[in-house]
Amino acid sequence: MTMTDLPMPRVGPLQEATPKPMRLILNWGRRYSLWVFNFGLACCAIEFIAASMARHDFIRLGVIPFAPGPRQADLMVVSGTVTDKMAPAVRRLYDQMPEPKYVISFGACSNSGGPYWDSYCVTKGVDQLIPVDVYVPGCPPRPEALLQGILLLQQRIASEQPASRSLRKKSYADRRAAAAVLSRPFVSAQDRERLAGAPSESDVSRGTSDASRGTGDVSRGTGDVSRGSTDVSGEA
Amino acid sequence: MVGVGAGGLASADMVLNIGPQHPATHGVLRLRITLDGERIRRAEPIVGYMHRGAEKLFEVRDYRQIMVLANRHDWLSAFSNEIGVALTVERMLGMDVPERATWTRTLLAELNRVLNHLMFLGSYPLELGAITPIFYSFREREELQAVMEEISGGRMHYMFSRVGGLRDDLPAGWLGRVAASIAAVRRRLPDLESLLVGNEILRARTRGVGVLSPELIEAYGVSGPIARASGVDVDLRRDRPYLAYAELFAPGGPGRVVVRSAGDCLARLEVLLEQVHVSLDLAQACLDRLAALPAGPVNVKLPKVLKVPEGWDYVATENPLGFNGYYLVSRGDKTPWRLKLRSASFNNVAVLGELLPGTLIADMVAILGSMFFVVGDIDK
Amino acid sequence: MARQEKESRGLVPGLLSGMATTARTAFRPTHTRQYPDVAPDLPPRSRGVIALLADNCTSCMLCARECPDWCIYIDSHKETIPPASEGGRPRQQNVLDRFAIDFSLCMYCGICIEVCPFDALFWSPEFEYAETDIRDLLHEKERLGEWMATVPPPAAFEPGALEEVVVDEPATEEDATQPPEATR
Repeated sequence: MTMTDLPMPRVGPLQEATPKPMRLILNWGRRYSLWVFNFGLACCAIEFIAASMARHDFIRLGVIPFAPGPRQADLMVVSGTVTDKMAPAVRRLYDQMPEPKYVISFGACSNSGGPYWDSYCVTKGVDQLIPVDVYVPGCPPRPEALLQGILLLQQRIASEQPASRSLRKKSYADRRAAAAVLSRPFVSAQDRERLAGAPSESDVSRGTSDASRGTGDVSRGTGDVSRGSTDVSGEA
Repeated sequence: MVGVGAGGLASADMVLNIGPQHPATHGVLRLRITLDGERIRRAEPIVGYMHRGAEKLFEVRDYRQIMVLANRHDWLSAFSNEIGVALTVERMLGMDVPERATWTRTLLAELNRVLNHLMFLGSYPLELGAITPIFYSFREREELQAVMEEISGGRMHYMFSRVGGLRDDLPAGWLGRVAASIAAVRRRLPDLESLLVGNEILRARTRGVGVLSPELIEAYGVSGPIARASGVDVDLRRDRPYLAYAELFAPGGPGRVVVRSAGDCLARLEVLLEQVHVSLDLAQACLDRLAALPAGPVNVKLPKVLKVPEGWDYVATENPLGFNGYYLVSRGDKTPWRLKLRSASFNNVAVLGELLPGTLIADMVAILGSMFFVVGDIDK
Repeated sequence: MARQEKESRGLVPGLLSGMATTARTAFRPTHTRQYPDVAPDLPPRSRGVIALLADNCTSCMLCARECPDWCIYIDSHKETIPPASEGGRPRQQNVLDRFAIDFSLCMYCGICIEVCPFDALFWSPEFEYAETDIRDLLHEKERLGEWMATVPPPAAFEPGALEEVVVDEPATEEDATQPPEATR
């Protein structure tokens, strides 16, 4: 199998050069056509589904829950507990989304670990892996709270300056990812050998992660992610 | 889906990963499937993507804190989960729970069962390609969640029971509103049914698919509606009565155990659908009983620091998805020394490794969806 | 059995009954709630946000200690109040400097409200406080106080409930003013 190394589609430099009226229209369009990708992990996913159903119906607000996958989505709603085992997948699916992309962290678990704050295997907040635009509090938040979070995000998009996004680019998580990285298997050939053979200590020491804010156990869990980012983020 | 062909019709095995983030796994279950053409040769559920270490966290929490955390492993049966902890602790303490609390707990547990089943009755057709039923089932869910929120304050995680009873008494007029909700759900259930069991397309996709034998059920410890769909007539509400079930399941009572013998996906769906009716009957019986009960407390006065005497106990309850057991070992502290959780979905999913081989890849989603699991309940 | 009876229906009646349901529902009024325009009616017990009545708080730390998530932060200092009457003894009083709840961590269990011996904490059904910066989810004393205006009066109980249900033994004054010891 060959892997084609295509860059992710981006509007980056072009967008920054747009004149103000153009930008208003761009932002208006983005605001009301948020194709959402539900990263449903735990309890909050049920409330997300409830918000998409007839009673609360977030399609009224221009949020479209029919994105076939992350590659066609503008908004990712992380709803539920992100575990260290799941963290690489969260990061990868985020990387697969085309720019401009937004993230809503829905519920206490994805905000900061929530009830599992002292667990050995839970990532203490999805913002250690990906940049989050809106945090919705609750455990689980009621569907109306998600709608309010969406309204807040839309306000933010409306007032968005191109500079504000490039500001985020300089921060830790917004980086260019090549297609090869995004389609790399979860378990590399090297890891598979290791798993098949005797366990070695080499992978534990790998985890100096730039994605984490430096809590030791978390960075070890996201070892795979950090390795991905060092591969490609030469310019970041 | 084409395997790496070796020429002609001969095919080599192909390994296919389903999940961890896949809509059909509702959550983050991962299946590693070895395919020969489109027939599944081997299937291996890979669990742990939702492992949150709840059992370890129980050890550093006191019993009230455990109960609010225990809500969360099986998020669709939150109330049944907390009841399990409460019953275990109460039995070890030898505590008597006021009758009013027992009947309210039974009522809430049954409403929770309906909520859980409605979720699966909506999501299962969705996986089979029918989008419409989930809208009907969520309409009913909202109806019931409203009354649950009114009494407990939460839509999903009720956190309403305490050791010795409940947190609060019933709000005024609540019983009437529950009765109205039950009546509304009962009135509109035929809508949902007409889209499910009468539908020939759904029947064709599920009849005779994924037949689970009683032997496999016993070997893997499968329980709940899945076991009953294969003719294994076991229901802890009747066989080991707890709460007020002894009276409800007594001869002449409204309780009955729904059993099917076919053991296929359709039978599992039918069991779920019929259990909704039974649970609504039970909830109605609880309502009538609560209205007739004399005034009384809904909880007992607890000591300031609740310590469970040294020893161990195991209490299993019939959760919506199957047996949910708590094995509590106490050394006389205010936290348990160990609280082992036996969750239903773990066993129910483990059997997939036996059930899937030999079936077609197109039936995989039908079988997986019909096993009615919650990923948090698998991984704890 | 019900099953045989349903099985005997053929392909067409089953599909038709489903379509009839859909058609009937299409002409019924929708049950959609127009949230941003119409505020949802929430029951008084709804757990939306925790409000603080700072005057009632004696900074006894019971809530912070009982919180399963340890998401309550309390700072206080002792002040000596001069004797009220001639010859009386000066009294010591806790003064609350900081009371903050981290709503990004809170699991909304309400244990803090239950254990509060002086009724300083209340549930409010308010839920509209999503933030773009996680640090803003840490509500300090002032913001928690603002929620007090949204706290509904407690609902009456169903007949059959005892008039007053004592859930917790109220802590004595002496307990409450003791400095907290590390319990876990």
